[in-house]
Amino acid sequence: MSDSSSFDRPVRKRLSPVPENPLTQRLDASLLSPHQAALRSAVVDAFNAKKARRFLERHVKHISTNRDLADGIKFLFDEHGRPPANAPLEDIVDERRRVEYQIKWFEGTLLELRNRLVRVKEVEDYALEMLSRALPDE
Amino acid sequence: MAAPLFLLAPPRSYTSLVNAMLGQHPQAFGLPELCLFNVTTLVDLWKGSQGDVAENGSMVRHGLLRALAEIYCGEQSSSTINMALRWASAREDWPTARVFQEIVAQIDPLVAVEKSPSYTMSVGRMRAMFEAFPDARFVHLVRHPVAQSKSVMAINDGAFTIKVNAFEIGEDYALMEPQIAWHDINLNILDFLDEVPANQQLRMRGEDIMAEPERHLGQIARWAGLRDDDEAIKAMMHPERSPFACFGPINALFGNDPNFLAGPTFRPHKPKIPSFSAKVPWRDDGKGLYPEVIALAKEFGYV
Repeated sequence: MSDSSSFDRPVRKRLSPVPENPLTQRLDASLLSPHQAALRSAVVDAFNAKKARRFLERHVKHISTNRDLADGIKFLFDEHGRPPANAPLEDIVDERRRVEYQIKWFEGTLLELRNRLVRVKEVEDYALEMLSRALPDE
Repeated sequence: MAAPLFLLAPPRSYTSLVNAMLGQHPQAFGLPELCLFNVTTLVDLWKGSQGDVAENGSMVRHGLLRALAEIYCGEQSSSTINMALRWASAREDWPTARVFQEIVAQIDPLVAVEKSPSYTMSVGRMRAMFEAFPDARFVHLVRHPVAQSKSVMAINDGAFTIKVNAFEIGEDYALMEPQIAWHDINLNILDFLDEVPANQQLRMRGEDIMAEPERHLGQIARWAGLRDDDEAIKAMMHPERSPFACFGPINALFGNDPNFLAGPTFRPHKPKIPSFSAKVPWRDDGKGLYPEVIALAKEFGYV
């Protein structure tokens, strides 16, 4: 990473075993020895497998939507169904934020679906118009 | 045109918070992560680069789109993000340095404050910043290696270490080692700062800012030639008031660390400084920090 500037500067040795590509000035794993590359690849594969497992676990949890919703608002109610007098403000703020984000996502999805519906309707109208024009000739 | 102020630091070094705090100074404008100097021309932000260190994915563009929407239209909405996309499309062949200069000219006389931790992955990217803005000021923000590495490993299972090739590779094993990323990225910054005049660079420990924000933010403001009166200091205590301190519209949601976007409020606190001799929590073999990492941390003032 050093350049050819004339002034003296300390040579700082990096710790990463991956060599630097002089063209991109970034570490390039393709320059590792085959043995090192295999070991690195095994770590990356294990990481990806763990990530996939976590992803599945998260989605399986979300299948039970009702339980998820009930858990989400449980802290707002005591055994009599009323908000507890000493509910922590942080929890209430967090919950408010969470609901706001979910609404934002939902509105975004809704907007996207509406846009898509408009486009599909345009295509449908155009197709029907073409059909109606074509029919008299048949 | 007011020279910008750049924060240089590895990820998870309080950069989002400090950037937003400085950006709230009445004479400054805190930008989201623009990532412009990761590539040469604007279209490359859309095309991406090659290899397993590629800067692909739409998230890398969210900060730029949100900044353009806010600066040119005064608000961030789906429509203004679409405007920003057209703005970028019309300038796709512009060098990214020119795009940045255009943004800085738009917000002049306010001082642009920006941090994109991805700049620090290569000295070349930081040199490109300096070439575009020879008068720019650079704050090297540091965090204790144990706390920073722990934080890196807590996000997405430590995926960042793979991205920057921070591996310890032995005879018959390899493992993800975040302290290598902390060390090597800080060395990149030090190598770059060797080329920057002393009066244009400042090193600051993130923990000090968290513990005594008024004092240290005032110090940065004075060094950057900005006001350091009570009003300015008070404004910097509220990063959550930044227009970028929240999720963006559905077509440009991010532009910063999602954890910061979800909770941008600043609470002064004194972070605990871990011991150099303790075992590091992300390793199972009971080992601690490398001697090289300890030496560099000591150079940064940690004891």
